[in-house]
Amino acid sequence: MSTLEIMLVSAFALVGAGLYGLLITRNLIKVVIALQIMVKGALVALVAAGQASDQLALGQSLAMTVIVADTVVAVIGLAFAVQVKRVRGTLDLRALAELRG
Amino acid sequence: MGEMTALTWMIALPLLATPAIYLIGRLARDSSRAARWTALIALLLAWIPFAQAAADLHDSGTQIYTLGAIALRLDDFALLLAALSLGLGTLVTLYSGPYMQAEDGQEKYYASLVAVVGVMIGLGCAADLFNLWVWFEAMAVGTFLLVAFYHEQPASLEAGVKYLVQSAVGSVLVLLGIALVLAETGTLDLAAIRAEASSTTLLLAAGALMTIGFGVKVAMVPMHTWLPDAHSQAPSGISAMLSGVVIEAGLVALLRALGALGGVTGSWGELLMLFGALNMVAGNLLALRQQQVKRLLAYSSLAHIGYMLLGVGIAVYAREAAGAQGALFHMLNHGLMKGLAFLAAGALLYTLHIAAGDHGPLTVRDLDGAASRYPLIALGLSVAVLGLGGLPPLAGFMSKWQIFAAGFETRNHWIEALAIFAGLNSVLSLGYYAPLVNAAYRHAPSEAVRRGKPVPALLQVPVIALTVAVVAVGVWPPLLQWLSEPAGRALLAAFGF
Repeated sequence: MSTLEIMLVSAFALVGAGLYGLLITRNLIKVVIALQIMVKGALVALVAAGQASDQLALGQSLAMTVIVADTVVAVIGLAFAVQVKRVRGTLDLRALAELRG
Repeated sequence: MGEMTALTWMIALPLLATPAIYLIGRLARDSSRAARWTALIALLLAWIPFAQAAADLHDSGTQIYTLGAIALRLDDFALLLAALSLGLGTLVTLYSGPYMQAEDGQEKYYASLVAVVGVMIGLGCAADLFNLWVWFEAMAVGTFLLVAFYHEQPASLEAGVKYLVQSAVGSVLVLLGIALVLAETGTLDLAAIRAEASSTTLLLAAGALMTIGFGVKVAMVPMHTWLPDAHSQAPSGISAMLSGVVIEAGLVALLRALGALGGVTGSWGELLMLFGALNMVAGNLLALRQQQVKRLLAYSSLAHIGYMLLGVGIAVYAREAAGAQGALFHMLNHGLMKGLAFLAAGALLYTLHIAAGDHGPLTVRDLDGAASRYPLIALGLSVAVLGLGGLPPLAGFMSKWQIFAAGFETRNHWIEALAIFAGLNSVLSLGYYAPLVNAAYRHAPSEAVRRGKPVPALLQVPVIALTVAVVAVGVWPPLLQWLSEPAGRALLAAFGF
């Protein structure tokens, strides 16, 4: 396998691991962690793509930008977690399942 | 670094105004009034560069602004999104004055609203794939805050969490798609990708990943489950923005990305039509059983995204601009009609529930006899839902007709059947729109309506303006078609046809 293939397989494995975590957990903080694992997979893929196309600097700067954008999303996710704990007294997402239909 | 042009001012003005709104709102003595006026002035000022940019586009073709390796490109397709976003954004800011007056933290509300408007204009102008993702993510972040604005209400938090998690997964899939495109073609510029792209497995996978990823924001069935919660729990002005512009901005992003991969497979048109059919059926059937007005309107957005996907799919399949022109005309009309529907429903929600300090939903029963007490609002709501249902001579009829006619022009029996199917869906949708009108006009006033206070005058202004617009566009479609006709051609050009 070429470097690109190995990197892409690991990237998809990371995204898959994050997605699996997202599906089995009911704790809001763990949900944010699972999302972070998925984004790390995407970062690996971006850097690998940069290297494969001989533009490593481009790949790295894309990864940097994604880290910034993704941190904002994680912060909002954790802010929601704080607010859910305040309003509901628990971080369990099952306590938040009112909207249906 | 290039000169600041009308194009850059149009994007920069709202983005520069965002921190100003927050700071002024924080420092001023009458914080909410100061924040509201700053937001309104910023959006009104943004119309000046918009008009200039539209004139430049008309006189000298596509406007390009480069900053290092990053380029912004304004074509007719981007102009359409800018017009929709600025237009609805201005009306919603006006509307939010009375609607939000009792809420805390309005400086954050107006700052996020204006930021989202600016970001959506930028999203339309993105000329490379990663730039597109950055605008897309910025739009998502702004709307997370707005959806969960009532952060003491468990239902709003639930909607916010669902929206955040699904959007974040979608954006990761888009990033994977971008990585595959970069690895395969060595470039991120949309036009250069189109020139480089050949039919390889990796690029096909990239297209699929981006369809799913952007599809979450477009609410393509089955990635739609966040939409009814987010659109019904947000403040009503934001519901209008989300339904009228934000999901459409997601569609623009999806079409830009698929356009760059236009040469990878000939099947993008079929894929879009398939999702269009799914969206129409699921949206209409789910809306039929709703008792809450805002939730019903949210589900009907699914169906309308379906009509747009169908029109664009027909255009990409047949390589004729007619379908795309119909779809983009419908995008504008849907913005007007769904914006009107949410603002009118919001006005009733405000007087019947929120003004009494109650965060319960507006149900179809609450509408009973609303026309006797709130004639203008009931008229606005009725015009909006009948237009959405496609009754002539309202705006929705004209654009749906254009899409169906484009379907028949392909002379393909499958597509003709699909156009008939879409027409039947449109009739089915009257099954949930008509009871709203019926309740407002023919039922005896409910207890809630009889006790309700009058609607503030400022809340009525945007409703009246949009009602007039929906009727006017229906009677005289060129009022908006000057935007959608060239935009449809620009969209096909983006696919390389």
